[in-house]
This record gives sequence, C-alpha cells and structure tokens, in this order.
Amino acid sequence: MRRGVWIGIMILMLAVGGAGMALAADVRGVTDTEITIGQWGPQTGPAALWGAVARGTDLYFKMINEEGGINGRKIKYVLRDDGYNPAKTKAIAKEFVENIGVFAVVGGVGTGPGMAVRDYLTENKVPWVGPSTGSSHFTRPTNPYIFGVYPLYKDEAYLLTKYAYENKGKKIAFFYQNDDYGKEGLEGAEIALKELGGALVAKVSVEVPDTDLSSHALKLKESGADVVIMWLLPKHAAIILGESAKLGYKPQWISSNTLSDAPVMMNITKGLWAGVITSMFGDLPNEDTPLMKKYREAHQKMAASERWGSFYYAGIIWAEPLVESLKMAGKDVTTEKVLTSLETMNKWRGIGPPLTYTKDEHQGAKSVKISQVLENGDVKPLSDWLQITK
Amino acid sequence: MLSQLIVGGLAIGSCYALISLAMVIIYKTSEVLNFSQGEMAMLATFVSFYLLADKGLPFWLAAILTLAFALLLGVVVEIVFLRTAKNPNVLGLIVITLGLEMILYGVAGWRWGPDQQAMPFPIGNTEIYTVGSVTFSRISLWVFSLALGLMAALGLFFKYTRLGVAMKATQQNHLAARIMGIRTKRILSFTWALSSLVGTVAGMLIASSYPLDVNMMMDPMMKAFAGGVLGGMVSLPGAAVGALSIGVIENLFGGYVSLEFKSVVAFAIIVLVLCVRPSGLFARHYVKKV
Amino acid sequence: MDMKRDYYEDIQMLPSAWEGFWFVVLLAALALFPLLGGNYYCYLANLIAINAIVAIGLNLLVGYTGQVSLGHAGFFAIGAYTSAMLYGKYGLSILIALPAAGFTAALFGFLLGLPCLRLEGPYLTIATMGFGMTVTQTIGHWSFLGGRMGINTPKLQILSWQLSKDTEIYYLIIAVAVLMTIGARNLVRTRVGRALVAIRDSDIAASTTGVNLTYYKTLAFAVSAFYTGVAGALFAPVLGFISPENFNLITSIVFLGMVVVGGLGSIFGSIAGAALMTILQIQLSAVQDLWLIGPLISSISTRWFNVGGMANVSNIIIGSIMVAIVIFEPMGINGLYLRSKRFFKSWPF
Repeated sequence: MRRGVWIGIMILMLAVGGAGMALAADVRGVTDTEITIGQWGPQTGPAALWGAVARGTDLYFKMINEEGGINGRKIKYVLRDDGYNPAKTKAIAKEFVENIGVFAVVGGVGTGPGMAVRDYLTENKVPWVGPSTGSSHFTRPTNPYIFGVYPLYKDEAYLLTKYAYENKGKKIAFFYQNDDYGKEGLEGAEIALKELGGALVAKVSVEVPDTDLSSHALKLKESGADVVIMWLLPKHAAIILGESAKLGYKPQWISSNTLSDAPVMMNITKGLWAGVITSMFGDLPNEDTPLMKKYREAHQKMAASERWGSFYYAGIIWAEPLVESLKMAGKDVTTEKVLTSLETMNKWRGIGPPLTYTKDEHQGAKSVKISQVLENGDVKPLSDWLQITK
Repeated sequence: MLSQLIVGGLAIGSCYALISLAMVIIYKTSEVLNFSQGEMAMLATFVSFYLLADKGLPFWLAAILTLAFALLLGVVVEIVFLRTAKNPNVLGLIVITLGLEMILYGVAGWRWGPDQQAMPFPIGNTEIYTVGSVTFSRISLWVFSLALGLMAALGLFFKYTRLGVAMKATQQNHLAARIMGIRTKRILSFTWALSSLVGTVAGMLIASSYPLDVNMMMDPMMKAFAGGVLGGMVSLPGAAVGALSIGVIENLFGGYVSLEFKSVVAFAIIVLVLCVRPSGLFARHYVKKV
Repeated sequence: MDMKRDYYEDIQMLPSAWEGFWFVVLLAALALFPLLGGNYYCYLANLIAINAIVAIGLNLLVGYTGQVSLGHAGFFAIGAYTSAMLYGKYGLSILIALPAAGFTAALFGFLLGLPCLRLEGPYLTIATMGFGMTVTQTIGHWSFLGGRMGINTPKLQILSWQLSKDTEIYYLIIAVAVLMTIGARNLVRTRVGRALVAIRDSDIAASTTGVNLTYYKTLAFAVSAFYTGVAGALFAPVLGFISPENFNLITSIVFLGMVVVGGLGSIFGSIAGAALMTILQIQLSAVQDLWLIGPLISSISTRWFNVGGMANVSNIIIGSIMVAIVIFEPMGINGLYLRSKRFFKSWPF
C-alpha cells in the first residue's frame, strides 16, 4: 500500500516532466518575437542588498522593449532568487538552460554563485555578459563565452592603493573580508605598494558572519595607519567605522566599489561615511551625461519605488554591451554572431567603464573612477577613468 | 590593549546576555528552545525604526510603543503557535520556533527590504571618554548600564513580586502551581511576553551601534544561545555570566590569537565545558529517574 | 489487514507478495524516469534523492534514537569534500570515494557522539551546532580544500563509463539511494533498531534491560553520519562545485525540517519530507512567477510592502508549512498518509 503512494508520486512527476520538455528551437532562447535572457541575484538572505542589480537590469530591458525592442524582438527577462547559495544558483542555471531555454545570461551577483555555474554555462555555450563580480576567475584565462564588464578587484585595488600612496599617506593598512573577494583586493594592493617601494602596515581580515568588530578596530588603530583600504561587505564597513569612532581613531577610509552606494552607506554609518574615498564601476549616479539622464527618467517613470543607487544601475551597466551586441548581430541572431560582435567593441561606452574586447581578452573593463563622498551624501569625482597600464 | 579588549567584550557581551536571559526565561518555564528569539527582537526593532524614522515620534514614545508591541508579539506567538500544538515533543517545539523564525524573518524582509538602515538613536556613537589608555564610548556605557539594570530588575522581579514568584512556581512544578491556584496558562503567555520584551531591549541596543537589517540578530542570537548553555540554560545569573564571558573571551581570542577563528571559539569552549559539566557551569546536573 | 500474527511478520522485509510486486514496479518506474523526465527533472530527482538519503540518516538519529542534531551540514560537508578530494584530486574511482566519504563522516560522527553521550536538549543542540559551524569554518580556512572559494569537481567516471549528464548520474544516485533505503529499513527492524527506539523512549529503562547506551548512542551518530557523508559524496558531482557556503547552519536546519515535516521515525516520511522541502525551495526562487498568487503578491508588495523584499515571501511560506505540520500533524507527512489510509480502509464507517 505504502508503495502505491510512491508510484502515484512518480507518475505525477513523470507527467510534469513530460509536459515541461521544451521544444527544440533553432537558437535556444530566440523566437521570432522574443529573446530570452536570464539572471540570478540574491533577493533574500545576507547579500540581498546586491539584489538591486538584477532588478536594475529589469528596468533596462523594460525600457528597451518600450522603445520597440531589438531588431523587432522583445526581451523576455527571467529573474531568479538564489539567496547567494551556490547550490540554488546551480539549480537556476540548469533551469535556464534545460527548462526555460535562455539565449544569454547577464550579470549574476557573487563570486561563489558564479563559480558554481561557470563551467556548466560554458559547456552549454551560453554567452554570459558582465558577471557581477571583480574576481579574476571568470576572464582569466579567457573564456570564449564570458565577457567581463566589472573591473577586476586586483586592478581596482592596485589603482586605489597607488592613488592613496601618492595623495593621502604612506602608512596604509588593508582591512578585508577573508575570502577571494578580499584576498584579490589585498593582492592588488600589495603589488602596487611593492612597485612604489612601500609595504602595508597591517593586514586585518574579517569573517563574513562576524558582527562584533571591536578587536578588529583595535588592531587597525594599533597599527597607526593613516589610510585604511576596505574590501568588505557594507555591514562590516559600517560597523568598523562605528567601532573606530568609538576608539577615537579616524584614518582616511578608502573602499572598493562594492561600497559605492553612498546614500546607503551615509545612512547606515550615521554620517561617518562622509569623506570616504571609493572607486566607481560606472558614472556617478547624479552625473549629467545624456544616457544617465535617460535612464534616470525611465527609472522615474517605470520603477519609482526602487532607489536609484549604484547597485541598481549596475544592472544596466552589465546589460548594455549585451544589448549593443544583439543590435549589431542583426535580424538573424546566433550565439556566434553575438560573440563576434562583442569582440569588435573598442573603447565602447554606455554608462560603465570603457570596454575593449578582443578574441583573447574578454576582461573589457580595466579602469575605475575614483570619487569622494561629501557631507550631504553626494559624491564628487576625484578622477576621470583611470586605466591600469597593462 | 588588554583592558580595551575587555571593555569591548563587555559591551557586546551585555547585549548577548540580554538575549540569553530572554531565551532562559522561556526555556525554564516551558522547556522550549526559542530559536525565534532573535527574529522576534529584530521585528520589534524594525517597528521602533518605523515609528522613529517614518512617523517621526520622539524617542521615549517610540520606545514605549515598541516595548508594548514586543509584549503583544510574545503573547500572540505563545497563543497562536505554541498553545495550539497538540502534545508536541521537544523536537517539534524546536521546529516550530525555527519555522517561526523563518516567518518573522520573511515578514520583516518583505516589509523593509534588504537595504540596511540606521536606527535613529538619541546618543551618537562618536562621543568618547578616555581613561588612561582605555577609550569608552558613551553608547557602550549606556548599553552596559542599561543591560545591567535590566538584569538586576529581572532578579528583583523574580524574587519579590507575586507575579515573579508565581512564574517561578510554574517553572518548578506546573501541576502543583495549578493546584495552588496559579493560572499557569496565563503565566506561560506572560513568560513569552516578558522574554520578548527583554529580547527587544537587546535588539534596540544592538541596532544603536550596528546597522539595522533583517540579518542583524543572527550572529548575536547564536552567541547568546552559546552563553546561555555555558551558564546552564536554567539559571538567570548563569546565563548572564556565560554570555558576558563569551563576549570577553571572543574579543581576547580575536585580539591575541586569531581573528579568523574568533566566531567559532565560543562553540569550541562550549563543547569542552559540556564534556566536563554536561548541564553547563551554573546548573546542577540532575540524574533523571524513570 | 494490518494485523501482525507472529513475530516474524513484524521483522519481515517485505510483508507480502503484493508489496514485493509494488517494489518491483517502483524500481522499474525509477529506471524509466530519465527517458521521460529529461535532464532538468533528473537533476531535481538527484537533489531529492540526495536529500532523502540525508533525511533517512538524520531520522535514524533524531526519529529513532531521539537525539537532536543541528550539525548535519558538517557531515554533509565532510562527505562532499572527502569524495571531491579522492576522485577529483587523486583520481580514485567514485566507487572507492563513495564509501570512503561515508566512513570518514562516520568516524567524525563517532567522535562527536562521544561528548554527546551525556548531553540532551539544548546542550546537545548547541554541541552539534558548534560542530557544524566549526567544520565549515575550518574548510573555509584550509587552502588545501579550496578555502572559502570552494573547488570545482570534475566529471564522474566509473571504469570507462562517463557520467557527464544528469540523466547518467541519476542512475548512480538512485541505485545508492535505493540501497541505503533498504539498508535503513533493514537496520530499524533488527535488534539494533529496537535498541535505538528503546533509547528514544527512555534511555534509563533501555539500559536496565541490557541496552548498552554508550555503544548504541555512538553507533546511531556514526550510522547517521555515514548516510549523510555518502549523500554529500554524491552531492559534489551533481553540483560540480562545492564551497563552504553550501554547508551552513541553514542547511542543517533544512535537513531537520525535512525529517520533522516528513515524519519522525518513518523512512517513507523522510523521503516525502525531503522531496517536499527540495521542491519548495526550488519552486519558490521566483515568487513573482507563481501560478495565481504571483501577481497578487506583486501588487501587495508595491502597495504595502517592499518590492525589493518580495522574495522573502518564500521564507514565510516554507516557515508556515513547517509550523503548520508540527502543530496540526505532529507525525508529519507520514502521519497524514497513515490517517488517510485508515480513512479509506474503514470507509464508509
């Protein structure tokens, strides 16, 4: 009797499975009227702050569709929540390829989740534009299907450290999250200082689940650094600024672009964030370039309840080159055409960094902007796009 | 450096201690291990954030309303989720509180989203006093003294008020308490309300120096639970001392040994202590009779 | 119909020829599933089967022996990393790596079982939880195991047979899952199983009737860890990538949820609970696309709640299901099944 139920379940699953099998199309995810593009992003859980990226992409695609789509096709956008859990990301990637059938993947927050699906997506020949991470695991060595739009953490740390050493002070400490994200930043900083003939006065790491950072702050203070470079989660950055203030320690704080959402940071640090120098992976949110204005208007019109923060429009930055290459590929879209049109881009710009792709170099972005947070929460540029010379 | 580390440890440890007390109050009375303690406090803290930031109420009024909400939340949780369960076992109760934790987390996450917020608090975290080589911030002093005050008040409450004594009686023997005319069901509701209140105070104190988001209570709750177990889970002073020492030990370990393993050292200590004293430091290990 | 007439009926593997027949039909259905289901549904079936193995193992500890564990993600991680290292780094066959992973986890289970002998209730919970967190933390700092970043696991190969697609791995996983299920069923109907149940009901009474508590409690930990370790070893190739983030406290909580939702002390319940929780977790990754209630949730979000936090509805749904099952049906899905069976059997009375 008990097994009768099992069999019932199995039959049900078989029925569902049979119905779910997609019809084979010529190009996966492309019909006469639609192109399907997918993205995962943490909408829940500890990294949900960066979930805005995937929703920003949604705004951009809605805008493109409203303008008439790409060569007569509308974009069908599939957004899935992976909660920053690589097992779920893998399930989503499988669903994208085998169940929904996506033409390409765009963005996708996180190094861990991205690594879980990188090889799988490549095996299935899914173009993936703009992994939302600066880790070098995606474009080093060159992967034929992955195109980086995010400046590498290593390059970014190199540029920031050099800037700090030349302009802010020689005693530099590095405070980082103890994983690849933090360690790649640390590596870049160490390379820069070695070239300049200096060394870090302290390296302090923090674990992702930690909340109480009073002993970390004390270590930074004891090192006597004038400049502290942070490679952290927003939560940890806010806490360390608070704890340092409690100790009366006020160095020049410098941070990676993962903390470039100045209004949020100003808010959660209760104003301590003012004066912090951050790098940016795109134009500043209040900049008056024509494209930026257009996006801001679209945001007001279609998604006013969302906040116009740097992570939200990051979703636009990652998707811009993909849309551009789809336009270039013409009416008969194929994966190869999109890849080759991406590879012709030379110093192409949307609102992100200038992008140059060649057949052997898929890390398109090699520059960051440096900016400083003002007392009122706005940011002022300290530099134009700084390129790493290599 | 040593004294500074101890000061930092006591400040965070006193927040752990309050949550730990909240858990012990419930565990003593009903043997429920309340995993939703942190999220109950988190939800209430978000309510106070809503009153302060969105409604613009003065702090004292918002605090009173929040505490009232916390009491109500405790009662509702007890009546809706625990009283309705038909003769659940220990494990069932754990799963109910874990499920409840997910529900509360979901509700707060849905309503307030993933963005981190700053709790408007009347004391800024940049005001500091320096004594010798040790720096105190005004907010840590407040946190510490508020927590100590609340602990003392709880101790007096259980010792000298009729309600407190009735709660103690219910803890010791349900049936006998009922025979003596104590309305044990009402006492249980009240236990949850009181525990929710204590937890909420901890939540608000934590939000005063850390960013407010839906995940903020996870780590503190684990540490508080560890502290409670260290102290014995059935003894209020034990829980307070256990949680405070977890805060200090962690900080010393982070300062002198390794920052990387700072957050697991608490659990290593727990396992070692439990090997020697299976019911924690302050509780008597009783041998069950058949 | 369900009346047992003598002792041997009680301990029989398959009580009747009829059940034997259904068992064969089930095996056939499982074998044919990949032909109909395709790759994606096989992948889901793989995840369900892996979780079912964990749930069965955890149920042996929690449901049969009455010991709580919130640290099974640790055993799961040990199994996954052992097999990933053995067949990934050292090129051993998965047929060796699989039992090796199980026995490594069992060893840790035995070691954890020793201090846990004297513990119960919250003390046991925190000790197991601490174990789970220590394992993931240690892996995260051990660069030999890939550290926080995790490691990619290569494709499976059994002799010359390449298991590259999910439909192919499926057969390996289902074969192991069926074997493990039979093993668990076998275990609980023998002397060992009865000893475990006796410990659950009253450990002192059990020890006075001659059950060696030290032996059986640590055995329960070791066996449970063995199951979880084997499941972890299968999990590594299915995901193709493992990192400490896969094995956090939430994973342990979900495992425990599977067991309780499915039904304590029931193997069928473990499987049903694992299936339900796995499917729910995957289905709820897109709340806004849910059938019927999706648009409703969207509009509620924009009006009263927060669009950015909409995905949290999945937590509310899963949490409510867990709570509702414990409150209204303490025996879990298995209890529901038993009740409905009784209802139909005695119908129309």
